[in-house]
Amino acid sequence: MSPEALELELARLHPATFGWAIACCAGDRSAAEDALQASYLKILDGRARFDGRASFRTWLFAVVRNTAAELRRRAALRRLLPLSVLGDAPDGRPDAATVLARGDASRRLEAALATLSRRQREVLHLVFYQELTISEAADVAGVSLGTARTHYERGKAALKKLLKEEPE
Amino acid sequence: MIERTDSDLGDRFRALRREDAAAARPFDTTLASARARRAARPRHRTGWLAAAAVAVAGIAVALLLTRPHRHRMTVDLASVRWNGPTDFLLVLPGDALLRAVPDLGRMNLSTLLDRRTP
Repeated sequence: MSPEALELELARLHPATFGWAIACCAGDRSAAEDALQASYLKILDGRARFDGRASFRTWLFAVVRNTAAELRRRAALRRLLPLSVLGDAPDGRPDAATVLARGDASRRLEAALATLSRRQREVLHLVFYQELTISEAADVAGVSLGTARTHYERGKAALKKLLKEEPE
Repeated sequence: MIERTDSDLGDRFRALRREDAAAARPFDTTLASARARRAARPRHRTGWLAAAAVAVAGIAVALLLTRPHRHRMTVDLASVRWNGPTDFLLVLPGDALLRAVPDLGRMNLSTLLDRRTP
C-alpha cells in the first residue's frame, strides 16, 4: 500500500478510529488523541505494516489498541517515578471535556461500561459501536473467537442489567 | 450478530458514536500534530540519552575514585618449598653420607656411629 493510499484509508476511517481510541483510553480524550497520533506515526513510518491478513480496519484498530496499551504502561510508570519533568500522566479516567460533551444517555452508558472488565468493554464497543462481527472483534482484541464470544455475552448481560437499574 | 432485543444497546452506542464524530478533530489536524511530534521527538530522545550517558560516566568515575586500594600479595616462587606428605619415603638411611664430600684424610666418627646396628 502506497503512503498516499494509506493516508486516504486513515482519513476515511478517522472518525471511527477516534471513537475506538477513546474506548481504548477509558474515555480520556487527550490520551485518545495521543494514542491516535502515535498510531498514525507508526503506520506512516512503516513501523506497523499492513500485511493483508485481516481487513484494514481490523488491523488499524489492533494497532491503536496496542499503542494505547503502550502509552498506558508508560503513564503508569510515570506515576510511579517521582519525575515531574516527564509531565503529567493521564490517570485513565474520562477527562472533563469528554464528560461535558456527552449527553445524559451516553454518560450513563459510559459509566456502566466503566464497571465492566477491559475485555468486555472492548468487545462490546467493537460489536455495537463499530458494528464489527464477534470474529473481527476477536482479531482486534487479540483473543480467540470463543473468548470474545464469552466476553460479549457476559458483558452484554451485565450492561443491560446496569442500564436497567439506572434511574432514567 | 446483534439480536433484535439488543436494539436499545445499539441505539445507545450509535448516539455515542455521533457525539464522538462531532467532537473528533479533523484527520489533517491530527496528522499534522503527529508529524510535529515526530519532528520534535529525536531532539528530546538525544537529550535523554546524553543525560543518561553523563550519569553513567559520573558513576563510573566515582566508583574508580572511591574504590579502596588493594595490596596485591606477591609470591616469590624461588623461596617457596613445598613438602609433600610422602616426602619421608625419599629419605634414605645415611643419605647425609651421599651428600657430603668424601674427606680421605679424616674419619667422621659420628656417621660411623649412625650406621652401626644396635
